[in-house]
Amino acid sequence: MSCNISAPKRSPRYIPGALIFLTFLLMAVLAPYIAPHDPWKRYEPYLGPSWIHPLGTNDMGNDILSEIIFGSRVSLSVGLGSAIISTLIGTIIGASAGYFRGWVDDMLMGITDIFLMIPQIPLVIVVAAFLKPSPIMITLIMGLLWWPSLARIVRSRVLQVREMAFVGAARVIGFSDRHIILTDVLPNTIHVIMPKFMLTVASAMIAEASLSFLGLGDPNAKSWGMIINFAFSRGGFLNGYWWWYMPPGICITLSVLSLVSMSLLLERDQVSEHVTS
Amino acid sequence: MNLARYVISLFVILSLNFAIPRAMPGDTMTNLLGEDVILDDTLVQEIRREMGLDLPLREQYLMYWKDIMHLNLGYSYHFHSPVLPLVLERMKWTLLISAPPLIVGAVLGTLLGALAGWRESMRSRLQTLIFLIIYSTPPYFLALMSLYIFGFQLGWVPMKGFYTTGSAGNIIHHIILPVVLMSLFSASRNYMIMRGSVIQERQMLYVLYARAKGLYDSQILFRHVFRNAALPIITLVALDFGFIFSGALFIEMVFSMRGMGNLIYSALLYRDYPVLQGSFLVITLMVITANVVADVIYGILDPRVRGR
Repeated sequence: MSCNISAPKRSPRYIPGALIFLTFLLMAVLAPYIAPHDPWKRYEPYLGPSWIHPLGTNDMGNDILSEIIFGSRVSLSVGLGSAIISTLIGTIIGASAGYFRGWVDDMLMGITDIFLMIPQIPLVIVVAAFLKPSPIMITLIMGLLWWPSLARIVRSRVLQVREMAFVGAARVIGFSDRHIILTDVLPNTIHVIMPKFMLTVASAMIAEASLSFLGLGDPNAKSWGMIINFAFSRGGFLNGYWWWYMPPGICITLSVLSLVSMSLLLERDQVSEHVTS
Repeated sequence: MNLARYVISLFVILSLNFAIPRAMPGDTMTNLLGEDVILDDTLVQEIRREMGLDLPLREQYLMYWKDIMHLNLGYSYHFHSPVLPLVLERMKWTLLISAPPLIVGAVLGTLLGALAGWRESMRSRLQTLIFLIIYSTPPYFLALMSLYIFGFQLGWVPMKGFYTTGSAGNIIHHIILPVVLMSLFSASRNYMIMRGSVIQERQMLYVLYARAKGLYDSQILFRHVFRNAALPIITLVALDFGFIFSGALFIEMVFSMRGMGNLIYSALLYRDYPVLQGSFLVITLMVITANVVADVIYGILDPRVRGR
């Protein structure tokens, strides 16, 4: 039927996305070594781009390029952190529902449907307003809320996998359910989890940037969203200081774009593999 | 069956709304009234009694349900108004900028997405890239950029608000840029899903059969593939409603429009919790309603569901 014979997993189409994401990851890890200045140190405020301050300085006189380099740490760790939490929850719930079926399935999917319907951003806003916002808090809130769609995807895949012969064989041999889920079912589910994981990192990064824009982040934790927030609220925007608000926005878009494109490619390769196999 | 699901969801969400101010750190009364309310001690005691905060939780919970049944969502001391009318008044405006994009985005996104998934060409690749970029940008950032370009630099659209004179033309002039932006966002999400869905569908056997039967390409796409691929979109559009609505909140803040977004923003500034919670509740109610509507439409369109 399909003409393309199983697309090679490591095709060159992954390279741009992977490269961009790795660059940001390196930037986050090596921030103290590559940032030209200490992002908390004060210089003259509202400087334009120059050799010493390639992206100028903000209203407090902080070097914007250094802020952005350090900002990658907050943005990426919030994104990765909440995606890891929600992927763990979603996988556990989805795998249990799909594997055990019956009332476990009904109950877990009922809960999932309820969570799926709660508008997430407004709920995060409400909860974050009550708590003292910090990157860790926001990571936790989002991690605990972002799992329902993954749980659904994992469940429908596990429903397929559990009917396969090797799972039946493992059951006949007498392995425990936990053992079967961990060694037989989940390894065959990982390829639907991965693309969704990347999408979750991406949407968590956008959400973090949006919350920071609302002032719901920690004002001292320099994240990309916070830099845009300050540029917007402290005149950088109306004065046309593009070097202040453009770069953090571009960083968010680029890193999200790299994740989304890799996720789409993964998903597509999986479709063609699925069909040819 | 489905109806039961929605009723349970509603129940859980309303209970969550009861639990949040009581479970959060800090004084419950402050959490219920908002943080810019300054009262003296005797008044505090009086209000505490009036709100039933010295009663056991179970009775407070019953009181809470009674209030909900009377459509009483509390009082905002910051805005000097009961919460519900305040929220509903703002809601009209937010719906005005989020409902058209929901429809335009669904139509535009599914059509373009279906075509792009069906045949790959230079043009469809470029189109996918553009939608990907929109998909990957935080809504408020794109709003900031376009406000700067079209409002500040070019002066094509007003910089803020919903209207200056109140005539229909004037309102449209004010909301056109936000509506276009939101439509693009909504379209980008549907585009990605539809494109993936068509890519998957076009490898199915019935497509091969339709081709063997000698149908034209466009016939196969629109008579067969599109119908199958578009069905899940209906449910997704409903679930996306919450997302689009949240996007509208941020875009309103950028354009200084007096809708829900701005209400939430000022409620955040003054930590006006009743307004925040009331807004959350009303938004959730709307999302649930959208899901019910989607279920009904789905039932009409999908013969398998209709037959049941």
